[in-house]
Amino acid sequence: MIEKLLLKLRARDVVSPEEEAAIRDTIAEVEDVPARKTVVKRGETLNRSVLLIEGLMCRYKDLRNGRRQITALHVAGDFLDLHGFTLKHLDHDVMSLSPCRVAYASHERLTRITEDYPHLTRLLWFSTNLDAAIHREWELSLGQRIGAVRAAHLICELHTRLQIVGLVREHDFELPLNQTELGECLGLTVVHTNRVLKELRERGLAHFKKAVVTIHDMDQLKAFAEFDPTYLYLASQAR
Amino acid sequence: MPRFFFHMYNGHGDTPDEVGSDLEDQAAARRLAIDSVRSMISEDARRGTIDLKGRIDVMDGAGNVLVTVEFAEAFEVRLPDGTRL
Repeated sequence: MIEKLLLKLRARDVVSPEEEAAIRDTIAEVEDVPARKTVVKRGETLNRSVLLIEGLMCRYKDLRNGRRQITALHVAGDFLDLHGFTLKHLDHDVMSLSPCRVAYASHERLTRITEDYPHLTRLLWFSTNLDAAIHREWELSLGQRIGAVRAAHLICELHTRLQIVGLVREHDFELPLNQTELGECLGLTVVHTNRVLKELRERGLAHFKKAVVTIHDMDQLKAFAEFDPTYLYLASQAR
Repeated sequence: MPRFFFHMYNGHGDTPDEVGSDLEDQAAARRLAIDSVRSMISEDARRGTIDLKGRIDVMDGAGNVLVTVEFAEAFEVRLPDGTRL
């Protein structure tokens, strides 16, 4: 059940069998949630954290005029709501984009990990630091990259993140969100997103249709996006 | 909610909308079209070009044009010679 999380962590450091068992022990409950369900509501008091087992989830914030910014996408294996472990409530909502399987880790048991497993604690700390690094890259995209490059960069990022957890095929991967939601990640309206996707298609780089991203030319796509995966901290080293 | 399709015709070539978006009503669809034009033109402006030739046709699923938004309609343009568009 926590295999994807283990793939993600083991790409960056060693996880011992004892540490693996300790992670398993934190899981109090597993739930299947339908698409587009808010799993963590902004402001609610939290006593458990969400680990995504399967599916695609996001963090988002809304303005009063109804505009939404998706501030992060989370893929299987992301312990996405470790943030809530120390924050105790969130400033944003967490929602499923596709049907998802989630596991809930109780804060009580996570506290025990921090007391008994210092190295594993650092690995979990690493994973929230990694979330922060991804946020910084999205900020750079939203502030400085033009729409088509922003979309290309996001595709490169997701390809890399999904590859780590074994969810990419040779030339494509599933991205179960609609064009409006993709636009909410990119800070673009759905119509603008359509134009941006058309540009990527016409340049022969990538194609997004029916929740599948097809990459036509990975090298060119990376070059167009100026994608440098350094911010995803892919090296395995002692942490 | 009804589904609306936003087909765009402009300097980037025609951009058909094959997916469509579910929106409350035609007024919401028009607002989205105007928002989108503003968003796209501002991006083009950052790259040095403002080209207001173009339009978005908002269609229903049967291909009937419900609303047309000309790019120029989305802006009040003030030129140095005092003209307003």
